[in-house]
Amino acid sequence: MDKENIIEIHDLKKNYDKGNIKALNGVDMVIKKGEFISIMGPSGSGKSTLLNMIGALDRAEEGTIEVAGIDLMKTSDLSEFRSKEIGFVFQMHNLIPNLSVLENVEIPMYESQIKSHQMRERALELLEAVELKDKADTSPTKLSGGERQRVAIARALVNHPSIILADEPTGALDSKTGDVILKMLKELHNKEHVTLVMVTHEPYVAQMADRILNVLDGKITASS
Amino acid sequence: MSFLKLILKNPFRNRTRAILAIIGIAIGIATIVALGMVTGGLQSATQSTLKAGAAEISVTQKGSNTFISTGGTVNESLVGDLRKIDGVKDTAGILRASANISGSSNFGPGGGFSVNGIDSDKLSLVGIDSLNGTGFSNGSTNEIILGKTSANNLNKTVGSTINLFGTDFKITGIFETGNFIQDAGAYMSLSTLQNLTGNDEKVSNIVVKVDENANVTQVGQSIENNYNDLTATTAADQANRINEGLGTINTASTAISLLAIIIGGVGVINTMVMSVFERTREIGVLKAVGWRNRRILGMILGESIVLTLVAAVVGIIMGIVGVEVLLNVIPSSGAVIKPVLTLDILARAFLIALLVGILGGLYPAYRASRLAPTEALRYE
Repeated sequence: MDKENIIEIHDLKKNYDKGNIKALNGVDMVIKKGEFISIMGPSGSGKSTLLNMIGALDRAEEGTIEVAGIDLMKTSDLSEFRSKEIGFVFQMHNLIPNLSVLENVEIPMYESQIKSHQMRERALELLEAVELKDKADTSPTKLSGGERQRVAIARALVNHPSIILADEPTGALDSKTGDVILKMLKELHNKEHVTLVMVTHEPYVAQMADRILNVLDGKITASS
Repeated sequence: MSFLKLILKNPFRNRTRAILAIIGIAIGIATIVALGMVTGGLQSATQSTLKAGAAEISVTQKGSNTFISTGGTVNESLVGDLRKIDGVKDTAGILRASANISGSSNFGPGGGFSVNGIDSDKLSLVGIDSLNGTGFSNGSTNEIILGKTSANNLNKTVGSTINLFGTDFKITGIFETGNFIQDAGAYMSLSTLQNLTGNDEKVSNIVVKVDENANVTQVGQSIENNYNDLTATTAADQANRINEGLGTINTASTAISLLAIIIGGVGVINTMVMSVFERTREIGVLKAVGWRNRRILGMILGESIVLTLVAAVVGIIMGIVGVEVLLNVIPSSGAVIKPVLTLDILARAFLIALLVGILGGLYPAYRASRLAPTEALRYE
């Protein structure tokens, strides 16, 4: 793997429904460290499946995939990889409702063996970065959609990941709030020096990225 | 927030469900605690009946019950005759009768107030070694001593009077043997009770004190060999009979405890399966942020144990309160049962709660840990 590359994928294939659905049909892709990549495509094209492969949420059947130096096809337990290297931002924020904002941001740090007070400090640092430090003890149910997504971004960054994977992070937000989120994501991508891979079906969102990859029928068809 | 705090917090996110689950398990624990307290009390009480009496053998007419026979069924002359048998140190004849006390419902076991007649110099043979008061004289027609339990129940003290068999008796002493049957009764002069109940020269049983070097069983056998119409029951025989009864109660208690565990366990499984079901997406997120399967398993199992341990505390309180209510609702039960809450009962309650928590939470925890992240995240 080229030292400048953080993701290298060759001929990746993933099927569902006993092979009847070819979600990924031979994907080839290389992403350099620190890049901001948008993945675009129509519904069912395989873009979310590709994101799940990069984030080790699922395994491919064929091909090779190396992320942050880890061969995901050969590693049996991928939870440590996800804990250390990946930060997820989902379309629906997926915050835990009975925990406070601060506690939600702390959740990924449980596997990192750091002390409670250090967890708290790191979580507060990130909540300040997303301008929600004053809401640390609030329940997520009392926040707006945009605020919840900001908390989700803070949670995604808490373990100093090398890659942020965002699956339509503004899909459930109005355009004004969505713009705020995108701007925040881009700023944090620059500030924290993370590689950002974002799935979107909106062209104006994709334009913010350094590069756009188009996916159709489980293959990368264009890169611009 | 520490992982432990998370485990303590999570079970109560759905308060109604948590409370219902806790109550369900607590009822089982309360049953175990209450039964344990009652059987413990019975065990102490029955052990006290064995050590309280100084005499080792009780002789009755064949066919009558050593514990509750009343009326004169044995000739008083046999009291002296039995004293001549090898190995016998001393004997005493006891007449038992049951009296009604108007205006009081606090009777001893058996329904009526237990009154015994004995010679005053033989009180030590029935375990009365010391007395608060002066006691009674042989032939006295108006003196009586009360057991501590009956004195408390009837609100009587030394010097007050009690009307039995239509006669007023002055309470000249209060005794305490530790035997719950004895202490719920009274003693008066044998001849007086014989006159009052029309049992001249008759007794209900003869208690036999054995020589120090003599074999109790052999002495008992000797009595039965010499007198075919008499039964000699040794303290060991009594103990065996009581233990058989207690054994049955303990078996029933164990069966009920097992049932409580099973029902409690099913309740826990149901609660935790529902909890995992509702949190499918959340578990997907936890996996996505890097939680290992064993941490997820530990979290769910931990939540299950938290629920059952809280239920143990609630159940213990319910059990203690339940027994107190029983004693208040059935006042005479307090004369027979002195419930005992021991460390063993508390330990058993917590251990059972822990077991139910582990067994009930294991399957849901395993299921949660095996959820595929992508499927869990897609769950609505």
